[in-house]
Amino acid sequence: MENILEIRNLVKVFPGVRAVDDVSFDVKRNTVHCLVGENGAGKSTLIKILTGAYTKTGGSIKLNGAEYQAGSTGEARAKGITTLFQELNVVDQLTVEENLTLGREDTTLGFLRRTDKINKCVSLLHEIEPSINPKAVTSTLSVAQKQIIEITKAAASKADIIIMDEPTASLSENEAERLFRIIRELCSNNMTVIYISHRLDEIFKLGSYVTVMRDGRHIGTKPISEVKDRGELIKMMVGKMIRENYIPNPNAADEKLLEIKDLSNHKLKQVSLHVNKGEIVGFYGLIGAGKTELARAVFGVDAIEAGEILYKGRRVGASPSQMIEAGIALVPEERRTQGLFTLLTIKANIPVMKMDRVSRNGFMDKTKEREVAESYVRDMGIATNSIEKEVGKLSGGNQQKVVFSKCLCSEADLFMLDEPTRGIDVGAKSEIYNIIRRLSSDGKSIMIFSSELPELLSVCDRFYLLFDGRIKAELKNSADIDSEKIVNIVTGGDAA
Amino acid sequence: MKSGGMRGIAGKISNETYINLAMLISLVVLFFLARLALPKFASIANIQNLISNQWYIILLGIGVTHLLIAGYFDMSVGGVVAMAGVLSVFFCQGNTSTASELSRGLNLPYGISIALTLLACLGIGAINSFFIAKLKVASIIITLGTMSVARGIAQILTQGAQRNTDLPDVFTVIGKTSIPGTSMTIAVLIVAVFVILAIVAEKKTVFGRRIYQIGANQNAARLSGVKVERQVTILYLISALLAGITGILLASEFGAGYSSRGRGYEFDALVITLLGGTSINGGFGSAFGTVIGALIISVITSTATGLLLRPEWQYIIKGAATFIAIMAQRYALEKRMSNG
Repeated sequence: MENILEIRNLVKVFPGVRAVDDVSFDVKRNTVHCLVGENGAGKSTLIKILTGAYTKTGGSIKLNGAEYQAGSTGEARAKGITTLFQELNVVDQLTVEENLTLGREDTTLGFLRRTDKINKCVSLLHEIEPSINPKAVTSTLSVAQKQIIEITKAAASKADIIIMDEPTASLSENEAERLFRIIRELCSNNMTVIYISHRLDEIFKLGSYVTVMRDGRHIGTKPISEVKDRGELIKMMVGKMIRENYIPNPNAADEKLLEIKDLSNHKLKQVSLHVNKGEIVGFYGLIGAGKTELARAVFGVDAIEAGEILYKGRRVGASPSQMIEAGIALVPEERRTQGLFTLLTIKANIPVMKMDRVSRNGFMDKTKEREVAESYVRDMGIATNSIEKEVGKLSGGNQQKVVFSKCLCSEADLFMLDEPTRGIDVGAKSEIYNIIRRLSSDGKSIMIFSSELPELLSVCDRFYLLFDGRIKAELKNSADIDSEKIVNIVTGGDAA
Repeated sequence: MKSGGMRGIAGKISNETYINLAMLISLVVLFFLARLALPKFASIANIQNLISNQWYIILLGIGVTHLLIAGYFDMSVGGVVAMAGVLSVFFCQGNTSTASELSRGLNLPYGISIALTLLACLGIGAINSFFIAKLKVASIIITLGTMSVARGIAQILTQGAQRNTDLPDVFTVIGKTSIPGTSMTIAVLIVAVFVILAIVAEKKTVFGRRIYQIGANQNAARLSGVKVERQVTILYLISALLAGITGILLASEFGAGYSSRGRGYEFDALVITLLGGTSINGGFGSAFGTVIGALIISVITSTATGLLLRPEWQYIIKGAATFIAIMAQRYALEKRMSNG
């Protein structure tokens, strides 16, 4: 079989990190080529280079034997690589057939012309999925049907390669089966699919080849038929995990601080858990498993449909302001858009969650405000020459320390940390871990929602493993914990 | 960063002080330029005029500024000015005249008339905040709607004209009394008090800090426990109240409630707010800046009128000055930010 795509020594460097590090592999024509790896393994960066969102730092890519480089998704599409993103690219207000020709409409002097192109697209759609009415308004379709529209669009524009990023994340089992059938048909019709999924079972069901990435590097490419089982794949994904050693935490008491019973909402399914006083509890799952949704539901940001949240034995309110009053603080997932006021100074950011500490009877106390800010800048080691500096001008790690300071300043007893070290450098990371351990030794409880397993293994006393909005397992940390078993569970394997 | 002098000082002050200082300097420079062209410009009488021409826009500008810092528009203020003026007249007009329908009111005592008028204005503020804070509808849409509703009420009560007869003597007292020794009315003093209150609230209180937090990042504010809905509601109520007071003072000054009073004031208030350095994206600005903005507009328009002797040119000149000032400000701020 001939190669449609040849990637050689591909490198992508971001400040401080080699996101794709000397990756080489081939994709064979008319196959389903699966790409797997943990979060942060470099898959997305690789895909973004292929789709033109990023420019490669080094190496070469050949498409159909010719040097390939795209400056935008549009250019990538024109050259034959189309992507089916998780955020679908269809316009809800338009009809199905309008969507099929969107951006490629035939016009005369700016007026739309009904040409053969629409008919061809419609008949192609009929071949792929006869149940969709081409005259229907797209908003009335299911996610699975919208995906099919995008796939039809790609097929109609004679794409060579279609990249699918977690296409089954929001599909039911039946819908996923139908998608697999369509993918197989596409491959027999001169199309090549690069398929990314965290659900390893799908890879065995659908794939012809699999490429495993880890820490930006290419670990291996194999025909699926030569992969023995999930275990082998997981071994390749996990490798020798480099992590700081877990030090058993003497501070965890046997007293429940937070207890959640059968929590359900649009994403979560009957989640039950508890956090003890002084305990550091990790929540691990891959993207889409429901970690952030869990944090948001507990913190009163997203609505809860069923279940109960007890804090210090009592039911607590359902809004962030009530949660903060009760003594819970959240370090949100996105620091710049959810955690910080980048336009405001460090001094103005730190006391936001508890203005009582820097005011008297509603009036600001400038001396206290300064003292509070200075004490956190010192304690946290925020690198800045002034507390009057706007937070937007700090580095990622220092910004995250400001977010932490904000939460600490609220004098909470429970800290919920959503991806607390995302996008910060190694040095700042280990400082953040030390802060977390210090909090625990002060008797505070910590919940860490993270997609970085080594991080959780080095600081957490206990874990909950999430998959598909459910808690699949609960594990106690120990020096000889089996990380392959953990990865097996969060990729949809059996907990037993 | 070792460059002493101006850079050294500029490095220590906040962006807000920087912009306010720049606008203050522009005001002074413009003032002296005007004086070169028009020798009488610096006379006490003219300076009093410069302030008298703008007090009502400044009073509206306070509410508009605080809302804009929080990230919201209030285009209803002009309509509320008209409504408040007409209502204040209607409530205390006598009810015995047989001359025409427009000369008969409700014959309520003056104090009650004022209280009811302000209550009606709060009603408009409540409608604004219900749709904007609670239902999260875009503020510009809702407040353009309530602008029409408020003016509509004024139109209905005056049949599209005005009410000015059979008023108690007390009605014109606040509007017509001058501050002793000046040509300015006590309305100017009232505005001064509100400006000081606004600056104190903005700089010295937790309430003021919340305005900036919401404007800088509403999402983060909510996740940090800020009661965003409540704060925005209060800001819309304050803005409506200030517009109501403006309307009452203007009606008192003229001894009449005109249905067309305050037309375009919402834009004037927005212009002085922007001129004063408040960011249209929220999170940045000050009531002090808005006052400076108002005075700059006042200097420019009266210079133009004085030079050309043709008041109809003032709109073009006002527009051009606004463009230039806002572009200059943005340039200065961006340059400063990128240097940090």
